[in-house]
Amino acid sequence: MERIIQGMPPSEVVAQLRKADGYYITNTARDLSQSDFKNRILLHTDMLAAPSRERAGYFSLEITGGASVHVDILRKQVDPFLKLELLREKMPKTMFQTLCRGVNLFGYRPYPQNVIRFTVREFAKYVDVWRTFDFLNHIPNMQAVFEEVAKAGKINEPCICFSTGPEHTDDFYVGKVKDILDVTGTDIILCIKNHGGLGTPQRIGQLVNAIKQSYPDLPIHYHGHNTDGNDIGRIAAAILNGASIIDASDSSMTGYYGPPPSLTVIQTMKSLGYTAIGLDEDAVIETSEVIRDQRQYYAAFESQIKGFQPTVQIHKLPGGAMGSSLEQAAKGGFLDKMPDILHKELPRVQKELGNYWSVTPGSQILWTTAVANVQGGERYGNPSGDLRNLLLGKYGPFPFYQPEEWIYEKVLGADWKKVMEEEGGMDEIEDMDLDHERASLREKIGHEPTDQQLVLYLQHPNDAVNFFKFEEKFGKVYVLPPSIFLHQGKFNVGTTLSFTDHYGKEHVIEIGPSMVNEGGESNVYLNVDHHQRIYSFVPEAKAGVAAAATVLSKEEIQTLAKNGDIRAPFAGNICEISVKEGQEVAAGEQVAMMEAMKMQTPVVSVIAGIVTTISVKVGDAVKPGAKIAKVDIDE
Amino acid sequence: MKKKILVANRGEIAIRIMRAIQELDYEAVAVYETPDKDSRHIRLASEAVLLGDGPRCDYLNIDKIIKAAKHSGACAIHPGYGFLAENPDFAKACEEAGIIFIGPTSEVISNLGNKVIARKIMAEAGIPMVPGTPNLSMGEDGVQEALTFAGKYGYPIMLKATCGGGGRGIRLIESDEQMRKEIPVARAEAKAAFNDDSVYLEKVVINPKHVEVQIIADKEGTTIHLGTRDCSIQRRNQKLIEIAPSMIGDKELLEKICQTAVKAAKASNYTNAGTVEFLIDKDFNYYFMEINTRVQVEHTVTEMITGIDIVRTQIKLALGKPLSFTQDDIQLRGHAIEMRINAEDPQADFMPEGGKTVSLYRSPGGYGVRLDGFVYQGYTIPQVYDSLLVKLTVHGFTWSETVSRVRRCLQNFDIAGPKTTIPFYLNIVEDPDFIKGDFNTSFLDTHPQLFEYKETSNEAEKLSKLIAEIHHHGTNPYAF
Repeated sequence: MERIIQGMPPSEVVAQLRKADGYYITNTARDLSQSDFKNRILLHTDMLAAPSRERAGYFSLEITGGASVHVDILRKQVDPFLKLELLREKMPKTMFQTLCRGVNLFGYRPYPQNVIRFTVREFAKYVDVWRTFDFLNHIPNMQAVFEEVAKAGKINEPCICFSTGPEHTDDFYVGKVKDILDVTGTDIILCIKNHGGLGTPQRIGQLVNAIKQSYPDLPIHYHGHNTDGNDIGRIAAAILNGASIIDASDSSMTGYYGPPPSLTVIQTMKSLGYTAIGLDEDAVIETSEVIRDQRQYYAAFESQIKGFQPTVQIHKLPGGAMGSSLEQAAKGGFLDKMPDILHKELPRVQKELGNYWSVTPGSQILWTTAVANVQGGERYGNPSGDLRNLLLGKYGPFPFYQPEEWIYEKVLGADWKKVMEEEGGMDEIEDMDLDHERASLREKIGHEPTDQQLVLYLQHPNDAVNFFKFEEKFGKVYVLPPSIFLHQGKFNVGTTLSFTDHYGKEHVIEIGPSMVNEGGESNVYLNVDHHQRIYSFVPEAKAGVAAAATVLSKEEIQTLAKNGDIRAPFAGNICEISVKEGQEVAAGEQVAMMEAMKMQTPVVSVIAGIVTTISVKVGDAVKPGAKIAKVDIDE
Repeated sequence: MKKKILVANRGEIAIRIMRAIQELDYEAVAVYETPDKDSRHIRLASEAVLLGDGPRCDYLNIDKIIKAAKHSGACAIHPGYGFLAENPDFAKACEEAGIIFIGPTSEVISNLGNKVIARKIMAEAGIPMVPGTPNLSMGEDGVQEALTFAGKYGYPIMLKATCGGGGRGIRLIESDEQMRKEIPVARAEAKAAFNDDSVYLEKVVINPKHVEVQIIADKEGTTIHLGTRDCSIQRRNQKLIEIAPSMIGDKELLEKICQTAVKAAKASNYTNAGTVEFLIDKDFNYYFMEINTRVQVEHTVTEMITGIDIVRTQIKLALGKPLSFTQDDIQLRGHAIEMRINAEDPQADFMPEGGKTVSLYRSPGGYGVRLDGFVYQGYTIPQVYDSLLVKLTVHGFTWSETVSRVRRCLQNFDIAGPKTTIPFYLNIVEDPDFIKGDFNTSFLDTHPQLFEYKETSNEAEKLSKLIAEIHHHGTNPYAF
């Protein structure tokens, strides 16, 4: 059997999968980066790996989607479209794959239909295989993506999100597959999305078999995570029961929560008589050798806790969320409470909230709620805006059962029934005026934006504009290797850094001395292409006075709130300011929206009055107790 | 005591003039407005006078400049180009104050500045002109005159403000209906801009070449020319690239044009340096357009091919000396190209980049290369003046050598901070039509591919800025 080449029509790809006498491997580099390196694997490393990954003959390379689009512009400072364009030049034959969160696209909240379609159209110019899921397995949430992918002539790979529990039966999943096929037709690949790496090999084998019994012609792509160290077992069971494609990645970069090593899969399956179709083992090995040396520069992004976590079967956190959850715990100083949160509270919250699939954005809602329940003292006492929306049904209907009434009451208030009647159910999200958005982006960046820039802006308005401004100031920085871009500490004087820029010009930069002048200004001397340049930095303290806010206790914050002094209740970013100075507010009215762990929580005024001061702006990172606004009591 | 000459201008032309003054062993007096306090033209002068906070209004303030000249003891004023250079009131004020105005007399400036009077003088002297009207009568009569003219010559027709210039106060009319609508609008605009609501019509020459002749005349009536320049490469009627001599192959035609220019200068009693502009249509008919009564931005290309220092000559003539060379002494040697390096973004309709700081400035040099500029590394471009940073002028023995030289110089420039016209010019020097010397005023419109380029020159500068941040903070604040 031959490998599948980028550009083949979807029907041909599916036909080839149906008659395959072995299995294919998708290199899930994106999921590896997200699960084990907090999404920071740079394009530079992927470019190093590109030639041998191309020769390796993978079914596809998952290299975009999930949280990566956001992190690309937020922390890697690379244009997600340019990334695909550059990789395509080096990898003409390999199909590129994405992970799309249906109506939530690559973000955390539902987008309007016209934004979804526009985004899919633009990405479909580069992306061949579209793995699409919905955390409630609510198929209408994926429909717009299905349609646009089909229109673009690309391959739809709808998911059934997998979990374990009394409700998660074969019959349930086979029913979901039917619902999907009713919408998409049969020229698709079905993905079993086991984002937690849950269940035993036996359970996965049984599920694949059940689907194959009902739909023998449906190619199945098994996606798993190695959090418990046993995904090779599940992969083997999936293939033995008829899965056509499985996910794995390069061994030298594999960690604890992402995909297992592809070479181990190949070796395991060979002994069972199964061939990885189109795979060149030497190229698979070579890729690992080429990028092995880069791993050291990503150390800061590897998990705070080392070792596999077989307890994932209890807490069910998806591999993609393990790293960020542990990071939040380490930064928030509650790493010691993790056993309580992970093994007791999180499973309890899951059951209480309907036992749906713990995956974005549902996993963030579960996690944030569990942390708040343990940290805040009172369970459901401090609900996030997104939990409220979940209960209101904004994301879709609960698949198995609804939470108990007391939870509704806690989250929505005493008159929760009325609130449900008035606000409950999925909103018809109005289309955005794209011309208007384009004009506002034009104003922000000072020139006509491209369609690609508009796509990024529609998804992450603040972060996209910051990224465009970053690029204007610092250029195309993907050319810098992680040893420079992620460098920790100062460089030694005399260090020579060399790289080739985006336009093919080579540059040499030598680190010179740094000096602080009388005014406290630091001057950094660099020798840029043999010419001396000086960069000045004003003292940190001066620049960051506003950021140095006192950390107040929850009680102190509540006391201040009663006097109209509204403080940040937790550490996060200001993502919206809902009032203007001089505006009247009612008690309970929202003055700002804060975001932490991708979850949005409204900040409200507990008193009625007039807003006299607003102390923050959109995009500010604030600590607990930071001043947000001042409201004078209406006399 | 050394003679002092005041330069009533700013930027590169002020420096150009000061160099000539200093070479004559006189002292140069600079003037400036507050936004120009860091301009290099101040530092090169022997003394500098602050006119006021501006912007622009103080460079245009006749009283303040005359006062500055008297106060500093300057015996003469060179107006440069723009600002007061072609304002007859300024020349007159100098004459009345007993200060030598370096340029023609106020009467000549006044006559030639009025398009209709100028056309009348030229018509009487038998200079070929684009068919046109005198000033249109006011009201409906004027409209009828316009429609009659249109009936005779056909559209398109240019509706021009009599006192306009420098590409301002011109509009293209394509129908009777539009003519009726636009005449009152044009009058109102002309009134606001030039304080004179006279307008007239001219037949449009479609896609002409813009060819001009540098002339010099002394007070004794000797008038000579310094050959032709081609300034066809323009955007919105503003010149970008100028060459000398014109690339028209018919040498006899060029000689005829030069002689016509001399005749036109004589007809208007011209003294000092000036430029006679012509339009040349596709059949090589040429038409007088106007006489510019000042030193041109592009005078450098003529200097390169003739060896004559035009500004030095201007000063000497104004001080009463006769021309020290004859027409026979003038030999045109090789080719010259001038490119205006502007702080503009050609890809954004030449949007000016004022307000930005030049964080890196490296310029080319070498054989046949001349730079007339005023920026330096660390200079912040004021937002209130024009965007010209430096004029690159190169000289070569053959046209192709000259094109190669200008390309090399553009590549040798390293300017970081503002966007410039350099990448756009780099496309022009690779364009087959430019390389052939085949272009007219439609060049930019018919070559849209010239606008397709990537901003590349600043990449090392930008990346090193990030490396400096990583080094300074000990971590990358944009990655963690």
